Amino acid sequence: MTAGAKLDELYKNRGVRAKELHNAGAIVIGYFCCFVPDEIITAFDMVPYRIQGSQSEPIDEADAFLEPMACPFVRSCFNMALKGSYDFLDGFVAPHSCDTIERIYGIWSHHRPSPFNHMINVPHMQGPSSEAFYRSELDYFIKSLEDWSGRKLENGKLIKAVSLYNERRKVLRELYDLRKSDPPLVSGTEILKALVAGMGIPGAEHLALLRRYVAHVKERPKPRKDKTPRIFIWGSEIDDAAFIQLVEECGAQAVMDDLCTTTRSFWEEVPETTDPVEGIARRYLATHCPRNDVPQKECSRISDLEQRYGYIKKFIKDWAVDGAIFYIVRYCDTCELEGPDLREYLNSLDIPVLMIEDDYSISTIGQLRTRIQAFLEMIG
Amino acid sequence: MNNAIRYFAGVDIGSVSIAAVLIRSQKREMAASEMIPSGGNYKDAARKVLNGVLSKAGIGVADLAGIVTTGLGAESAPFPARQVSDISCQAMGCRRLFPQVRTVIDIGGQFTKAMRITPEGRVADFLMSEKCATGSGRFLQVIARILHVNLSEIGSLSLQSETPVEFSTNCAVFAESETVSRIAEGAKAADILAGVHRAMAAKVSMLAKRVKMETEVALTGGGGEDTGLVQAVGDTLGVRIWVPEQPRLSAALGAACLAAAD
Repeated sequence: MTAGAKLDELYKNRGVRAKELHNAGAIVIGYFCCFVPDEIITAFDMVPYRIQGSQSEPIDEADAFLEPMACPFVRSCFNMALKGSYDFLDGFVAPHSCDTIERIYGIWSHHRPSPFNHMINVPHMQGPSSEAFYRSELDYFIKSLEDWSGRKLENGKLIKAVSLYNERRKVLRELYDLRKSDPPLVSGTEILKALVAGMGIPGAEHLALLRRYVAHVKERPKPRKDKTPRIFIWGSEIDDAAFIQLVEECGAQAVMDDLCTTTRSFWEEVPETTDPVEGIARRYLATHCPRNDVPQKECSRISDLEQRYGYIKKFIKDWAVDGAIFYIVRYCDTCELEGPDLREYLNSLDIPVLMIEDDYSISTIGQLRTRIQAFLEMIG
Repeated sequence: MNNAIRYFAGVDIGSVSIAAVLIRSQKREMAASEMIPSGGNYKDAARKVLNGVLSKAGIGVADLAGIVTTGLGAESAPFPARQVSDISCQAMGCRRLFPQVRTVIDIGGQFTKAMRITPEGRVADFLMSEKCATGSGRFLQVIARILHVNLSEIGSLSLQSETPVEFSTNCAVFAESETVSRIAEGAKAADILAGVHRAMAAKVSMLAKRVKMETEVALTGGGGEDTGLVQAVGDTLGVRIWVPEQPRLSAALGAACLAAAD
């Protein structure tokens, strides 16, 4: 089987590999968002599993516990948990990334507890005091895992896990580099599938697959320049390729993205220090999640936007982006409130923006076609 | 052959009605137009409306130099055509009708759209209403039904109102029950309609403001046929509103212009 086909299979049958490992005696730790370090879980010889929802299954049972105006991604995940789809998890970890995730921790661990349940508090403002706080939270997480599992975290193993995941980050960035050409060698749909495929398997397995996949993609014949609009996609938890596929079907190339499931989760490396937890704390706290804030150095609006979104400017330039689409899961206050500022910043770079708010469901995606078409006609 | 008259067709396949416009040569004079209710079958209706407009002009399909389809059902067209979004078509149609217009508000059966357009008729920015009946033609249909008023009469009736009813809700479904209570309390149909128009105008104006409205402003789609709504939108925005003679044809006209530009 080619690496691409294997990644596709893992994307389609999420959880199958983790379930297999669980049944063979491995400890699988499920978690939400970009603030629970894979490195720590891996260094315990456990399997990190990023919890995903399902955009194709209707949300039914979860609504007996949650208001319908709660984040549909979280409702979908909890719905799956209630139906037993996550019974293979040995641990459940939620960070305080957003308020919905923070609150679902209590509801989930009460109604569907895993053998190990843990909440990590994550400060919103970046800076030295936050790093110290978050570091203590990570130490507490490590201690809780030690107490529960009876295993002891070895510093050497953690250092090895850091370099393993840094290596994966490097290979993923290499894959992203292959989107720089016109047209890209690899589509946005393929990239998303390759990333989601890795969210529920051991890092080493994902890395091996990615290495083979990147080598394959590099061998693809160079397509002719086609000048289709190049789109940057910004938003939150997109773990189904349907939306990106729709954008590409409408005649665009999704060439770059900033999503919880994509660059936000892997782009920057963990500094390799002798005290690995410190490096991990620094890297994870600096995640470009719109729930995070950066202390302002100067008081001007321009420097504030520059500090928050400077990294996106680089994406826009290096990947030759023509337009941006914000794809926001409905009721995600975090993204909805970040949208206007980011729109202003991108417009100042002459990048037009289409903001779309959608239910976390593939059944409603077709209705977005007109908007996407009109947007592409506008920038084309 | 260069002197031969060339025809271009634009077909707008919408949820309520299907419109076709035929234009003649590059000058874009309107040669004929046709509009029918969508009914249950986009394919049949689209074929019917195209045949209708062709026979009005006395030409055959073979005389067409290009067709552009647009609207929710654009994909269902049973003839080969280029598809363009109704947002781009509306912009082009309005430019053809009102070259001075820079903002277009389109109130259709399902959605309301606001767009800012360039002097060349390209879309500079646009917004579409969310899936919400308030602010779309659907809202008016619902209220007209309860009041037993014909849709074509609601505009003139609303303009007769002296004390418009204030609605306490922005939701079309609750407004329906609120309307029933107001009728029971003895409110006049004219005042209820004027209240509905104000509520819709508030929603619609917000879209126009968010898209950074520039004057002049045009209003198209079925909503443009409702004089009461047009007046309410104009009052809310504080601007004069340009309305095409046949507001439900402008997207098809724009589609025909785009076909001619190919």
